Amino acid sequence: MSSRSVQYTSSPLLASKTPIWRSQFIVACIALGFLGLVARAAYVQLIDNAFFKRQGAVRHVRTLDLPANRGRILDRNGHILASSVPVPSIWANPESIDRDPEKFKALAKLLGMTQAELEKKLSDEDKNFVWLKRQVDEPVAKSIEALKIKGIYARKEYKRIYPEGEAVAHVVGFTNVENIGQEGVEREFNKNLGGKPGSRRVIKDKFGQVVEDIGEIILPEDGKDLQLSIDSKAQYFAYEKIKEAVISNRAKAGSVVVLHAQTGEVLAMTNYPSFVPDKRSNLMGEQLRNRALTDTFEPGSVMKPFTIGLALNSGRLTPNSVIQTAPGSMVLTGTTIHDSHPHGALTVEQVIQVSSNVGTTKIAMQMQPQEMWETFSQAGFGQKPPIAFPGVVSGRLRPYKTWRPIEQATMSYGYGLSASLFQMARSYTVFSHEGQIIPVTLLKNEATVSGEQVFSANTASQVRKMLQMAAGPGGTGMKAQTMGYSVGGKSGTAYKQVGKTYGSEKNRKYRGWFVGMAPIDKPLIIVAVMLDEPSNGRYYGGDVAAPVFSEVVQQTLRMMRVQPDIAFKPLVVTQLEKESL
Amino acid sequence: MSRVSIILLVAVLLSALYLVRTQYQSRALTTELDQTMSEARRLEIENDRLDVERRAQATPKRVEKLAREQLHMRTITPAITHYAKLPPPGVTTSETVRP
Repeated sequence: MSSRSVQYTSSPLLASKTPIWRSQFIVACIALGFLGLVARAAYVQLIDNAFFKRQGAVRHVRTLDLPANRGRILDRNGHILASSVPVPSIWANPESIDRDPEKFKALAKLLGMTQAELEKKLSDEDKNFVWLKRQVDEPVAKSIEALKIKGIYARKEYKRIYPEGEAVAHVVGFTNVENIGQEGVEREFNKNLGGKPGSRRVIKDKFGQVVEDIGEIILPEDGKDLQLSIDSKAQYFAYEKIKEAVISNRAKAGSVVVLHAQTGEVLAMTNYPSFVPDKRSNLMGEQLRNRALTDTFEPGSVMKPFTIGLALNSGRLTPNSVIQTAPGSMVLTGTTIHDSHPHGALTVEQVIQVSSNVGTTKIAMQMQPQEMWETFSQAGFGQKPPIAFPGVVSGRLRPYKTWRPIEQATMSYGYGLSASLFQMARSYTVFSHEGQIIPVTLLKNEATVSGEQVFSANTASQVRKMLQMAAGPGGTGMKAQTMGYSVGGKSGTAYKQVGKTYGSEKNRKYRGWFVGMAPIDKPLIIVAVMLDEPSNGRYYGGDVAAPVFSEVVQQTLRMMRVQPDIAFKPLVVTQLEKESL
Repeated sequence: MSRVSIILLVAVLLSALYLVRTQYQSRALTTELDQTMSEARRLEIENDRLDVERRAQATPKRVEKLAREQLHMRTITPAITHYAKLPPPGVTTSETVRP
């Protein structure tokens, strides 16, 4: 068998003509090629992988912004005064836009602009993002979408909505299109309301769906809701009343402030003219100003209770001390001080009741400028009211060292210093709150507060009685009386300064106001009303502002569910006691 | 030795396949979670929007207008109000006071 074995390899036909090393060389080359690939793969995947990681991330990793919702602004009963809702904003990509004139025409009409304006916005073809119109109404956005223009898109943005409109516009303020507070509470509390946006990094698949979170998610911090002390019903009522009064008296403007006399909360603060916060085009500074806080004027007779209070508090006088005011005028260092008409001998109470300048001056001249200044300052005159609100002014009260006797006299009855209506309202907490000036707040705070003692509780109660007389028969503020509730308060009237003078006899401009409280035994509210330039014949504070006071007091106390404290009778308004200017 | 290697190899392959499957499930769930969360946010926003709308329908201005014009109501004053006093605890008769 073995002898038959054949050695095939030895066949000359099969004998390789090529040397063996060549095949070995090819195998080695291929092996080397694979080795190279492995090395490259290892290099790419393990060592220098940054470039590819970056490219992968560019294609699939997205950072999503998690917007923070701006907090709402609520009134004291939880009703919404401001809230954010998403609305569409229209933007375009000028680079890729389909410029069809027909469609452009329709688009321009929907956006409320001319075709030329629209084309100007889209003229720069290098840009790839242009806002066309932000915060449009939902139906408009739908119609634009229906046009199906290539390169026009909508995205959701938050818009502030103010359901209460113009009645609270000055208090709440508004935000700009970027949701940043511009005026009022929106501005003052912008930080708290705004919140902090968050973000998360995710991997998205080819359908744009999130498949994986990478790293930590930064959760958005929603803005905090802000509850104001404002009562939207009281606010609305006050606004309607001041609006009516401004129109019927042909005045330039008017303001109302309602304070809670025990907690210092601002229940209402409103001005007319106002504005609708959602429609702010053609807005003028005149409408925008929160006059109650920003406009100062000489407080006039509203100051008299402080002068008299100081005299009572220091024991110099009692409410029944008699002051001789005849003949109705007096001369002090060359200047004559007048009463509207001579009153003769008056008790201290009556000095307030009939608002006698001469009587007040005689009382004031018994006192030192320093103590008057201290009392006025304590009552908040010349001081910025401690309230968080933009644009609050401090008014003016000059240092006592510079007071000349005539200035001391005029200041005792409210001229030669200035204050805002809000300051005046606050200063009357001295009389409503047992002689203490209490802090005021725009934020809800139902706890009873205490403040700096200006007068004794007894003095405060004596002055309250005088204020009641001033708002009663024979007083300057009779029209302040209201059905069912006892009121007390002081009216004020002043010539407005025109340039450096008070204007000539013919074209004098006036301002009339009233500051008071109710119910008088234990006051719950302080109401201050001011009318700027009433020009329909009547201009005394007791004539134009007191009726507004009366209605606001009645409705506000009713809303607060306060039972009437006096028997009511139909009001018969007799001849008003004229104010002394 | 080689038996152990083969078992280990199979185990590695199985666990690798299982990992792929789990990863896939995890992604599907993430997608679902994400969609649900955006739906929740959408509903929250919708709720806010409706709240505002409801309030806009109930502002004092609108209420007063409707009350006056459609229901012919008038502003109340103490003259046309009855004040009821709650009886002190224990007393059952109620007393109506008209000031």
